[in-house]
Amino acid sequence: MDTAHLVDLLLAVGMVVLALQVVSERAVLRSIILFVVFGLVMALAWTRLQAPDLALAEAAIGAGVTGALMMMAWRRLLIINPDQPADTPRGRSRVAVPVALLAAALVATIGLSALNIDPHANGAGLIALDELTDTSLGNPVTGVLLLFRNLDTLLEMAVLLIALLGARAVSTPAHPNEAAVVETSAPLVGALLAILVPLSILIATHLLLAGTNEPGGAFQAGAVLAAGGVALVLTARLQPGERPGVVTQLAVTAGLLAFVGIGVGIMAFGEKLLVLPGTWAIYVIETAMMVSIGLTLALLFAGAPALVGRPK
Amino acid sequence: MTEILFVLAASVVFGIGVWGLLIAEHLLRKLLALNVMSSSVFIIMLVVAGGGPDGPDPVAQALILTGIVIAVAATAFALALMVSIYRKTGRASITEKGDDDR
Amino acid sequence: MNFQDGIAVVLLIAGCFFYLAGTVGLLRFGDVHSRLHALTKADNLGLMLVCAALAVLAADWRISALLALIWLLGLLAATVSAHLIARHARRGWE
Repeated sequence: MDTAHLVDLLLAVGMVVLALQVVSERAVLRSIILFVVFGLVMALAWTRLQAPDLALAEAAIGAGVTGALMMMAWRRLLIINPDQPADTPRGRSRVAVPVALLAAALVATIGLSALNIDPHANGAGLIALDELTDTSLGNPVTGVLLLFRNLDTLLEMAVLLIALLGARAVSTPAHPNEAAVVETSAPLVGALLAILVPLSILIATHLLLAGTNEPGGAFQAGAVLAAGGVALVLTARLQPGERPGVVTQLAVTAGLLAFVGIGVGIMAFGEKLLVLPGTWAIYVIETAMMVSIGLTLALLFAGAPALVGRPK
Repeated sequence: MTEILFVLAASVVFGIGVWGLLIAEHLLRKLLALNVMSSSVFIIMLVVAGGGPDGPDPVAQALILTGIVIAVAATAFALALMVSIYRKTGRASITEKGDDDR
Repeated sequence: MNFQDGIAVVLLIAGCFFYLAGTVGLLRFGDVHSRLHALTKADNLGLMLVCAALAVLAADWRISALLALIWLLGLLAATVSAHLIARHARRGWE
């Protein structure tokens, strides 16, 4: 067994052990933290599978944003009722183990038999790679997301917006200080923010621009931007607001508007629906998507329809 | 070899997720289990799609990327629902009627 | 194995040793402050040694600069988070 396979084995065992701990740990907060670790091991697995785009997305969105959202939700529960037990008893279910074993066996059977199928000579992935040489894009994943299957991406932006609107509809407005976890007066916090927030904007811009040719793209960039927003919310530099202004509403819908605007507007020039007219259109749409994704995730984290600056 | 290993590990993780979903009472734990399940499905999707020397199938990668973002959107909405259920009922679990006195 | 690889291996092993020490400290020490002490000191040094080993292996200025940046960012995050955890622990805040 060579080193590469040893790494695979470590990652596989790590995933299984961490998944088991996530679901069987009794303290909820520990479960959430273990889930973040599970997400980071997943990111390593994506790297091993030569999918750096997915590794970036998993680390930023799967582990980072999801973990932050879960911790904030747990905090909200504690604010509503501070006497809440940190441990949650396991439910009793006689069918749990057999059903889980069956599910695992079913998935393994499907997966292993699908491995034996020879790849189709005209598979969508190969066609996408072929067509990519006609475009100026170097990253095939960005190509698929924005050129070949962009209806998926458009609807994905719609789903993100609907999730935000849905969350807004079911929740009562957050208290201005509810999301601020860190004492605003703590020394070093200001220094950290002074470095972290510009850095998150810089890295997001880099991921966005690099995303056309290298790993990266609007989703990873948006998540990094959201991380900067989360840091500002945690330190109360940004506080939940009650009423979204025009800027917030525009920023949240920018991705969708740019996509639909260009995708439908192009039909006036005799093109088909959602055929993007060139690299500039990809940059415009990706930038708008990054802003929308970042702000939407930050708003979902803050649990508020808008974010406002701290009152002086 | 790598493919088979990852498919097997992901299947086990999927089973663990199903088990966690069934035994969890707290809604937050159910969401964690669901997220674990979706991660394992993504791994299997990528491995099964195969690929060339330049890396895995780009269409599969794009679909999984979409899936990751949809998963976080759905999780965020579900968490908002959970908080609101807790605010109304004082419980972060959904139990059937008559199930309360366990 | 040439000279360059030899240096990298020594640095990697040293880095892993500090990570191991930091983790043992995290698990064995009793209170929050001692645990933070073990984590921040040992792991930051471990990260530096691992980054240095990778820089030696890469033998490229661009990659070395990026690795140095990664170490500095890790240092920044570790410093501030340890500081905040210690403050909360001292005030008995859960």
